[in-house]
Amino acid sequence: MTNLPTPFERFIQGILPENPVYRQLLGLCPTLAVTNGLKPALTMAVAVGAVLLSANIIISLIRNLLKPHLRIVVFTLTIATFVTIVDRLLAAYLYQMSKALGPYIPLIIVNCIIICRCEVCASRQNVLAASADAVGQAIGFGLALTGIAAIREILGTGMIAGVQLLPTAWPSWVIMVLPPGAFLTFGLLLALVNWIDSVRSNNEGRKG
Amino acid sequence: MERALKKRTAGVADRLKNSNFAQAWLILVLALIFGVALAAVQANLSGVIAANKLNETLERVPELVWGTATAARMASQNASVDITPGTVTIKKDLKTSYYNLFRVTHEGKLAGWVVKAGGQGYADKIELIIGLDPGADTITGLFVLQQKETPGLGNKITFPRWRNQFIRKKTSTPLVVTKGKSQVPNGIDAVTGATISSRSVTGIVNRTIRDVKGRLTPATIRFYERQL
Amino acid sequence: MDYIFDIFLISISAALINNFVLYYFVGICPFIGVSRRVDMALGMGSAVTFVMTIAVFLSWTITTLVLMPGAPVSRWVAGHFMSAEKAAGIDLTILTYIIYIFSIASSVQFVEMYVRKFYPPLYKSFGVFLPLITTNCAILFACLTVMSNIIGGENPIEAWDLGRALALGLFGGAGFTIAIVIMAGIREELDLCDIPAPFKGAAITLIVGGILAMAFMGFNGVDSGLKAALTGAP
Repeated sequence: MTNLPTPFERFIQGILPENPVYRQLLGLCPTLAVTNGLKPALTMAVAVGAVLLSANIIISLIRNLLKPHLRIVVFTLTIATFVTIVDRLLAAYLYQMSKALGPYIPLIIVNCIIICRCEVCASRQNVLAASADAVGQAIGFGLALTGIAAIREILGTGMIAGVQLLPTAWPSWVIMVLPPGAFLTFGLLLALVNWIDSVRSNNEGRKG
Repeated sequence: MERALKKRTAGVADRLKNSNFAQAWLILVLALIFGVALAAVQANLSGVIAANKLNETLERVPELVWGTATAARMASQNASVDITPGTVTIKKDLKTSYYNLFRVTHEGKLAGWVVKAGGQGYADKIELIIGLDPGADTITGLFVLQQKETPGLGNKITFPRWRNQFIRKKTSTPLVVTKGKSQVPNGIDAVTGATISSRSVTGIVNRTIRDVKGRLTPATIRFYERQL
Repeated sequence: MDYIFDIFLISISAALINNFVLYYFVGICPFIGVSRRVDMALGMGSAVTFVMTIAVFLSWTITTLVLMPGAPVSRWVAGHFMSAEKAAGIDLTILTYIIYIFSIASSVQFVEMYVRKFYPPLYKSFGVFLPLITTNCAILFACLTVMSNIIGGENPIEAWDLGRALALGLFGGAGFTIAIVIMAGIREELDLCDIPAPFKGAAITLIVGGILAMAFMGFNGVDSGLKAALTGAP
């Protein structure tokens, strides 16, 4: 019987060590697409978190009934249902944001993060561990998204969430809010995270 | 003989148990539960979503017909404004196009029209609503519903300062876009660095007015009940 | 003639101007992960194009016949249970996402069976990639674009017909293939370069992708110019 991580370990792992975006390189489509502003990024992070938590709880509750070769179908059905519900809730109560996010909300269905967590964690551990995992991963995802969004929005428009941060004399780097800016920002941040990680493991190697 | 028969029935029972249908019971139960959940969501939220979509345009209508200040004053006085949606069909050169519009009446009198229009911008489609006076002789307002122009350049067409150029322009002659301060009465200053976006919006306005002018009569418009 | 211009504009737009990978950010995972050799990238791109066309065909058919408000098949079925005018308002769009993802999964299964039976060496070289196409955002995105052009429009007369939908699917996949093949070619060269350690792997691929996206931005505005040239006034 392999030692599965405790709920607390699952929670902590999701935030930085096993960050879905920077470490596992999953869920990159929304990371690049909706980070041209802080508000869309936060909305997407909350939406993904909600779907991830609901799907993890349901799958964890029925984990003993899953047949091996039909489990992907069950995962897909559950995730698609919750994404439909979240999409409708957004269209009803946050209509402008729903229009801004457009087709990227239904694309949560094929977001690798959710299927991966269902497969790795929810289908094997109890509800508490699955929920902790979902919350941790969602926080990690949110941190990644807001980091990229903050940089793109500040450099691209001088504003953050619609509030003017830099003086209006700042020549907005419009490329930052356009597609190339997404690639470049994320690439540079990924290199930064890799560098920090390698420095830290070097230090630990020298100490030990 | 008996043992062979028993083995065969056991084999059939086993096959039934492992058949796809039996194993799929979980999926069928889940599909049923989720179906009920989705039906509940649809029943509760579809009205709210449809209202959101309609209100997006409806709440702009007063300020397009009367201007922002007057519309705000009327709203604070709870003035009764009747907005009736309708469609006008234009048949031209074998092509049929539809324009969705709203007839705005205040205290029984026709106050103006608001026409929904769209067309190709620089980057993607642009959707506008245009306010016209009762005779469709003057433009009373312009609002950009949807655009995907370049941020910082083309998307300045949404700024009130640029849109307000269209107010009080006569519809008798088409509007022209000029770079820099325009000297003619039907001129529109282009956004600096976004000539194509400015031209697209002006082109959409010109085309809509040309199509719709003279057809804003009860005979040619099909009105329908507002479903709210 | 107008129809052919429309198809042409949709195709150019989907392939180059609004490239699925470099403008809409769908299909990023294979773009970063898979593209390391040009022939593999070409194979992956062709598989995605094939599946995308089939999936778009399925989603257009199902949306037009079953899902959209007042669709013929649902109306006929509902007419047996309720009055004709209530049946005319039947709206099954809430089931769209579920039906789409399952039709994509079935398309992938179908393509996998077809390739395994008729092109075994191709199947062996694909390995695990074929089932992974199910979670490729690009295919679901193409289906969603088709849906928004059928249901979302103001005027029912502007709803897309099957030809336009298939054009989007085919040329969207072609655009994806173009992007991923260019990326594979660049990565082949990058393998010979001296890249700093933090940038190795996904980071340098993303930065190169950004420069590639900048290059494709040059196509911006081509479709509005083409439209003006082909149809007279815009």
